Amino acid sequence: MSEFGLSELARQLGCDEASVFSAPWEARAFAIALGLSQAGLFAWDEFRVRLIAEVGASDRIRERDGTNRQGEYYEHFLRALEAVVTEKGIATRSELITKIAELQPPVAPHAHEH
Amino acid sequence: MSGHDTSEHGPAARVKALEQLLVEKGLVDPARLDAIVDSYENKVGPRNGARVVARAWADAGFRKRLLMDAVAACAELGIAGPEGGHLVAIENTTRIHNLVVCTLCSCYPWPVLGLPPAWYKSFAYRSRAVSDPRGVLREFGVELADDVEIRVWDSSAEQRYIVLPERPAGTAKMSEEQLAELVTRDSMIGVARVAAPGKSR
Repeated sequence: MSEFGLSELARQLGCDEASVFSAPWEARAFAIALGLSQAGLFAWDEFRVRLIAEVGASDRIRERDGTNRQGEYYEHFLRALEAVVTEKGIATRSELITKIAELQPPVAPHAHEH
Repeated sequence: MSGHDTSEHGPAARVKALEQLLVEKGLVDPARLDAIVDSYENKVGPRNGARVVARAWADAGFRKRLLMDAVAACAELGIAGPEGGHLVAIENTTRIHNLVVCTLCSCYPWPVLGLPPAWYKSFAYRSRAVSDPRGVLREFGVELADDVEIRVWDSSAEQRYIVLPERPAGTAKMSEEQLAELVTRDSMIGVARVAAPGKSR
């Protein structure tokens, strides 16, 4: 495990951060999770179990590889949210993937050259 | 796997698709989501906890009730909400310093402190707060004498914590509102002390 000073970490992460979210999608993912739970589609504890699993899996990789990528909490959060949504039958994976593709901006014709 | 996994897409696109899908199903209302974000960005936050701490400093009866039943004491100030159950207040003294962490993920008392800061959720803090609390505190700028006992409290779904920091010297004449101004989020997690007025922390 690499040594990483917390003061340095706090500085990098913004210890006195005015905002609790570092990107709009993080805020949105949080609101969707809380909104669905408040609407009774799952209990917050059911979501938390999946979040703990995602965070734990990442921790084990980090302990093994010594990787130290920070600021990925809401990526775990989003994976946990997708997991609870699909496991609870609120939406299916294929519905999600279809919707992602649908919202993808169309590829410009000249962008095909690689 | 390809085509059945969302992880090849960026998180912003995934969240946008998820929201739209749930809106189409009539399960979430975008205005409600806006209200949740606004609430946690602007309304629910450590100022609530600061009011609790200031009241406890100013009112011995409240302090006693807070340490006995933090949920009921916070409710006296109109503070309640999701993730606010099972709240326990722990008091710093000259001999005991309390430090709060959630080693598993990010459990945190939302109604009094808002959503946790990024470092609280980091692997470094979650792992080292337990294994080397004195070192962690030093990195946050808190030097404790060797005879001060550090108690580390691991939050869970069942129990959340707010640290009642020590009231700094030179504050005897201050109003509750002025006292609340001194109280920082970090002091209620236990990674800082409350500085005396006029001194930087």
